[in-house]
This record gives sequence, structure tokens and C-alpha cells, in this order.
Amino acid sequence: MAYSKIKLPASATIILLFGFVLLSLQLMSSATQESSELGEMYSWLLVINTLGSVILLGLVAFNAYSLVRELKKKEAGSRLTTRMVSLFVLLALAPAAIVFYFSVQFLHQGIDSWFNVEIDRAMDDALELSQSSLNQRMTWHIKQTKQMADQLRDKSEALIAMEVGSLWADSGALEIAVFSNQGRVLASSSVNPSDILPHLPDEQIWLLLRQNKEYFAFDPGDNDEMLVRIIVAIEADQSRFLQVLFPIPVRVTDLADSIEFAFIRYQEMNFLRDSLKTSFSLILLLVLLLSLLAAIWVAFISIRNIVAPVKELVKGTQAVADGDYQQQLPVMNQDDLGFLVESFNQMTRRIARSRDETRAAGLEVENQRAYLETILANLTAGVISFDAAFYIRTANQAAYRILHIPVSHFVGETLPTLATMHSELADVLNAIQSLLEKADDIWEQRIVFLGPNGRQELLCRGTPLFSQHGARTGAVVVFDDVTDLIQAQKNAAWGEVARRLAHEIKNPLTPIQLSAERLQHKLSKELQDGSAVFLQRGTRTIVQQVEAMKRMVDDFSEYARPSKKQVEKINLVDLIQEVMALYLPSGIIFSTAFASDRVLVEADPVSLRQVLHNLIKNAQEATTVPCRIEIKIAKVSRNNTDYVELGIYDNGNGLNAEQLETIFDPYVTSKAKGTGLGLAIVKKIVEEHGGVIWVDTSYNDGAGFLLQLPVFEFGNFK
Amino acid sequence: MLCLQLAPGLVKASDYAARIDYAELQHTDHGYTVQTHIDYRLSPTAKEALHKGVRLTWEVTIELRQPGVLWDTRIHNRKLTYSLQFHALLNQYVVQTPFDRSEMFLTLSAAMNFMAAVHDSTPIPAELLSADKPYLLAVKTQFNRELLPIPLRPVAYLDNRWFLSSVWYTWPIQK
Repeated sequence: MAYSKIKLPASATIILLFGFVLLSLQLMSSATQESSELGEMYSWLLVINTLGSVILLGLVAFNAYSLVRELKKKEAGSRLTTRMVSLFVLLALAPAAIVFYFSVQFLHQGIDSWFNVEIDRAMDDALELSQSSLNQRMTWHIKQTKQMADQLRDKSEALIAMEVGSLWADSGALEIAVFSNQGRVLASSSVNPSDILPHLPDEQIWLLLRQNKEYFAFDPGDNDEMLVRIIVAIEADQSRFLQVLFPIPVRVTDLADSIEFAFIRYQEMNFLRDSLKTSFSLILLLVLLLSLLAAIWVAFISIRNIVAPVKELVKGTQAVADGDYQQQLPVMNQDDLGFLVESFNQMTRRIARSRDETRAAGLEVENQRAYLETILANLTAGVISFDAAFYIRTANQAAYRILHIPVSHFVGETLPTLATMHSELADVLNAIQSLLEKADDIWEQRIVFLGPNGRQELLCRGTPLFSQHGARTGAVVVFDDVTDLIQAQKNAAWGEVARRLAHEIKNPLTPIQLSAERLQHKLSKELQDGSAVFLQRGTRTIVQQVEAMKRMVDDFSEYARPSKKQVEKINLVDLIQEVMALYLPSGIIFSTAFASDRVLVEADPVSLRQVLHNLIKNAQEATTVPCRIEIKIAKVSRNNTDYVELGIYDNGNGLNAEQLETIFDPYVTSKAKGTGLGLAIVKKIVEEHGGVIWVDTSYNDGAGFLLQLPVFEFGNFK
Repeated sequence: MLCLQLAPGLVKASDYAARIDYAELQHTDHGYTVQTHIDYRLSPTAKEALHKGVRLTWEVTIELRQPGVLWDTRIHNRKLTYSLQFHALLNQYVVQTPFDRSEMFLTLSAAMNFMAAVHDSTPIPAELLSADKPYLLAVKTQFNRELLPIPLRPVAYLDNRWFLSSVWYTWPIQK
């Protein structure tokens, strides 16, 4: 904008501007003086001042227009500028208008006071008096001239020439001349001997002379003197004329001139009265306009300069409000506004520093949170956090692995809601919910439930969370699947039992058997037939039971002894089909569903064959009706590892809930002759091969077992 | 002697603008002299100002031009200033001629007639004019507002009753 392009300092501009205004007005004021040499420049000065006013008006209008635009755009500082400019204009305009009004009034009254009827009359009277005086002199000279003409009448030209000299001497005239009606000079006499020719009348005088036969008038003479020219006819036929030039005394001439000058001056002033008023009013108006417009324009510049820091402050504040804390405003002046700007700069610097610190702290917190989340995600224990109303806030990956449901997808839900969606987990979830609601302190409890992978035992530890003011803010539940751990402990215990049994029981069996056989050998010949038979029957029973006990102890030993695996790559499908072929004669009806005909696993074929035998025999023994066994092979992935999942389902009586809990424990059997080690050995072998086995509780048409083994290669699907 | 064709151009004048009735070149022994007649018309306001003592001044400009394609070339220029004033004491009109001479007249019409008949006795050298080229004689009279009393000047520029000047009148000069 225009004001922003001004290079000069505002104060210099203001001084220059007012200097020009004052100079121009002073020149115009001087030009109004009649005596001033500037009078010739009056019109130009008037035009220059008017142009100056127009230019200033344009500048003011432009500034006002700019201000209105800024107001419409709601630019920073525009309202303050408008308020200050309005106030200044009001304060400047009101007294200026009052001064102008009264100045014009005084001016008009002053000019009017110069003129009144008495002065008019006095001036007229003075002029008339002068004219009367001159006319009286004129009348006297006319009479005198006529007397001289009478003396010359009817005389010859020679006599006239002789008398003209004496007449001139007696009359006191400057010049006497007699000329014919043709203008020929007949005689003349003058006070100045050098004047050879008299002052003859011009054409205008001749015209009047011929009309009126006489002529008299005042003539301007040489050297600013005034003359009376009187011409009368000497003869009745106007053949000859007498012209006499009488001088007017210098004193009379001066007085008459003075009166005439004053009269004319007064008349002129009276005539110019309205023009004077208009002219002075115009000058006053120009003075007012120039001063006011210059002041308003300067006010615009000054106020904008004053408001500039405020404007910058408003912009800076808006920038800070928008989050830009790097705002540093220039300190233009070391005044109060400069102090304010400096304070603003300090404030933004502090805010920026605080923001950076807060951001760094937030980043640190975020890093910590991410770190904790990473730790939580990699924990083997499941962690679920709850808010005060026991809605799930977070859950880690292990929770999904343990519970087999994506708990993290249920953030914002409660455990009972989760239980309704997953009925198989209803027991454990409701149990945890109950504990959460009741506990006021850290609690720990083992919870056993029947999950999708069979019986599971969770070790749960809950911690209620409180705020600094003691209000409950939520809780954290940490749980771990200790099923395998418990099972391992049990297995170890059973292994120890078996080892001790083998050691403590098997050792005495051999002497018992030998002793019985020796008794039979020694006494059978000495005893009678009846007693000998009895002895034989007794010793045979002892030997048979000892043998039975030995086999049982061997089985225990087998179970307790670590297996010596001969691991090799075998095709599980081929192995299953081999085992199935052995049982076909027994009438078992097999059905298979293999996802591939080539499933290589690294395993001991003998052990794996025993697993299959045990499971099939177990199904065969549990079935009274024609036995149907369905064998399925599928590929599953768990923890980024591929497994082959082998399912064996029968159509037997199935397993009740009590059996499910102890089905893989040793010495657990529902059969009269069973040792209860079949499934325990199966589980032991599967786990020694890195696999898992569990009862498929979702199968209700009999008993179903699912076992997973790491697969080396899984062929294409059929 | 060169004969002059008096054919004034079309002009637009205000009600009281002066008009140039005719202008002619007269051949003398020393060259050419210009004679013209101007019809001055005073508005009532101008007459009132005159009788109240205001001096009225006109500047008669006489130019000899050679017509050109884009503009005319001025080959001679002469300015003659006449002023008219009322002498209240003698009740006469005084005309100040450009030849430093004052003439007094009993009537306004006589004074105006005197001013109307302009004869510029200062000769234009005959060498300035070539017989085979066309020329224009241009005359105008300019009322000098700047010699009016100062308070009257702004009004004189705005009030057409003070528009007493003539426009340019031109006459082609032919042999």
C-alpha cells in the first residue's frame, strides 16, 4: 500500500508536508496583498493549493478505502486504527469547523464594516465637490475665452495675429491658438516658445466642435498636469475658432487626483465586496482543507506506525494460537509497545521451549509405552487390563494364545460379554470377572476349565489399580497356562514312582519266583499226591503272579525310562496306512481324510507306530458296536511353525468330564485289564517329538484325539 | 499590394466574447502593416466593474502563419495591449494604447470604437512573405484576467460574463 512505500521517516515526511502546506498558504496569503509582487502568481497559487487539496483528499480517501477493506477482511489492527483515526478526525474536525465558521463570520462582518451609507455619501460629496470646483474653474475659463473671442471677431488675420499675443499675456493661459474650420492655424501664442505648433484638436474634438460649435473639456497634459481645453467659434459662421489651454494649478490637480483615487478605490472595493468575501472564504477554506487533510493523512501514517507493533502482536498471537511458537516479532521502538513486543518474544520462546520439553517427554512416554507393549506382547503370560468399570482396555498376544480368542479385538467389552460370545470360556471368564469385582488387593488363583484344546489350568494373578486419591481406576490380570507344567510335574512324579517300583518290587520277585520253584522241586517228590498237587498249584500261582508283576514292573520301567529315539524322516500317511492294514482283519472300519498323501515328519517310526497302535487299540477297546475310526490329517500353523494335525475319532462311548481331566494320567483306565499307561505313553511320546495331544471336546459322537507334530514337509493338497 | 480575402473561420464564442470583424495586410514602403477591427462586447458585470474603477485590459495578438501538415509555422508575432479605465472625476473613459499614449473619451462607445480600430503601424518585413506560398493572418484578443483585482480573478475564470476574449480568427492571404 501507499503508506508502506514511504521511505522517509514519518517525522520527516510530516515536517516536509506541513512545510509545503504552510509555504503555499503563506505565498497565497501574500499574493492577496495588492502591493505584493506575488499578485501575478495568485491564480497559480490558488490552483496549486487546490491541486494539493485534491491530492491530499485522494490520499486520505485511498487510506480510508484501504482501512475499510482491512476492516472487511478483519485484518489485525484494523479496528484499532479505525477507532484512533475516527477519534482524531472528530477531535480535529470539530474545533477546525468552529474556527472556520466564526472566522468566516468575522471576515464577512469586517468587510461589511468597511462600507456604510455615510462613507458612500461622503465619497460622492467629495467627488462632486471636486467636480464643482473644476467645473467652476471651467465656467470662468469659458467666459474668459468667449470674451477673448469677442475681441477677435470681425478682425483680419493680421490683426488677430497681433492681438493673440496680448490676449495670451493677459489671460494667463498656457496656449492660445486661432485656426480656421479647415484646421489651418492662423495665429498662436504659447508659454513655451519651443512649441511651434499649438495642440490642435483631434478628430473626435472636431466632431464634437462641429456638432456643438464649442468644445470644452479637461485634457491630460504633459508631466501629469491637467489642462482645460476650451474651443469657441470666433465668427458666427464658424469660419474661425479660438482654442485656449488653461492650466489647472498643481495643488488643485493633486487634490482632485487624491479625491478621485480615493473615490475610485472605494468604489472598486465596494464593487468587490462580495468577491472579497468569496475570495477570503475560499482561502480560509483552502487553509482548513489543506491543514485538515494533511493532518488526517499524517494521522493515518502516524497511527499505522503506532498500530504496526500491535498489528504484529495480533498476528503473532494468532500464530501462537495456531501452534506456531517460533514467532519472533521485530522490536521497532524502545517504548512501552517495544517492551510489550519483547515480552511477547520471551513468552513465545518459553512456550516453544516448554512445548519442546513436553514433546520430548511425550516421546519418551510413548517410547516407554511401546517398550512396555513390546514386552507385554512377548510375554508368555497373558495380560489383560481393565478400566474402573471392568471394560477391557488392553490385551496382549499371549492372552489370545492361551484363551484361543483374540481378546485384543474385544477392547471396550466386558468379560461377561466375551463369555456370551465364547461359551467354552464362560467358566474361566466369569470366574475372573467375579474375582475382579470382589478383590480389593492382589489375588492369585488357579482356575481349571475345559478349553477347546482340552483341560487347561490357568494360574491367574490380579492386581486392582488405584489412583493417587485412592479411587479404583481399573485392574490388571496376568495369567499363565500351567497345564503343561502341572502335567510335567505329574509325569516326573509318576516316573519316579515307576522307577522306585521297578527297583523295590522287581528285585524281590526273582527270589520269590526261585524260592517257589525250589519248593516245588524239593517238596513235590516228598509229598503225597494230594499235597503235591496243592503245592504245585500254589507254586504255579506264585510264579504266574510274579511273572505278571514283572511285566507290570517292566511296563512301569518302560514308561519311566527316557526313550531312545531313532529319528528319521518318515511319511506319516504311509505309516498310518501300514498300521491300519494290521487292524483290518479285526473288523475295524476306517475312514480317512488326508489333506496330502505326503506328510514328512522327523520322528522315531517305532515310537510313532506305538502311538498309533495305542490310540487305535484304545478306540477298539472302548467300542462295543462295530468299531468305526476316522483318521484325518491336516496342516496347521502355530507360532510361525507348520504342524501336521492328526485326528483320530471313534464311535465309542466317549469320555465324561471326569475322565477328561485325567485321561492322560498314568494308571487311569476304565478297563478291567488295562494298566492305564496307554494314553500316558502316547502323550509322552508325542511330547518327546515336540508335539501336543488333547481330547477334541467338540466331538460328541465318541472319543476324539487331536495330536500335532512338527512337519518337515507337507505335500500339495489333493 | 496584396489583396486579402476576409473569410473568418467558424468560431464558438460566449455571449460576451469579442469578435474580430476583419483583418487585412496593407503594403507600405517599409513592408506590410496590419489593420483589423475588433468588436468588443462588454457584459453588464464588466461595465459595472469598469464604472467602479476596475481597469479592463485586452491583449491583441496578431500572427502571420505558414500552414503546415501537422501544425502551422509562426513567422511573425505581435502583441498589442489596450486597457480601458473610467475617470470618475472627469467622467471620461481613458484608453491606454500600446504606444504609451492615453486617450480620453466622453462616452464608452467612443472609447470602445477607438480600441476596436487597431492599426499596427509597425511594419512586417516584406522579406518574410514569399509570393508563391500560402499564409494565414491570425488575430485574437485576449482579456487579461490576471490584471483584474485579485478578489475578482477566481470569479473571472468561472463566470462566463467575464469571458470577454475572442478565439483565433484566421484569414488566408492570397495575391
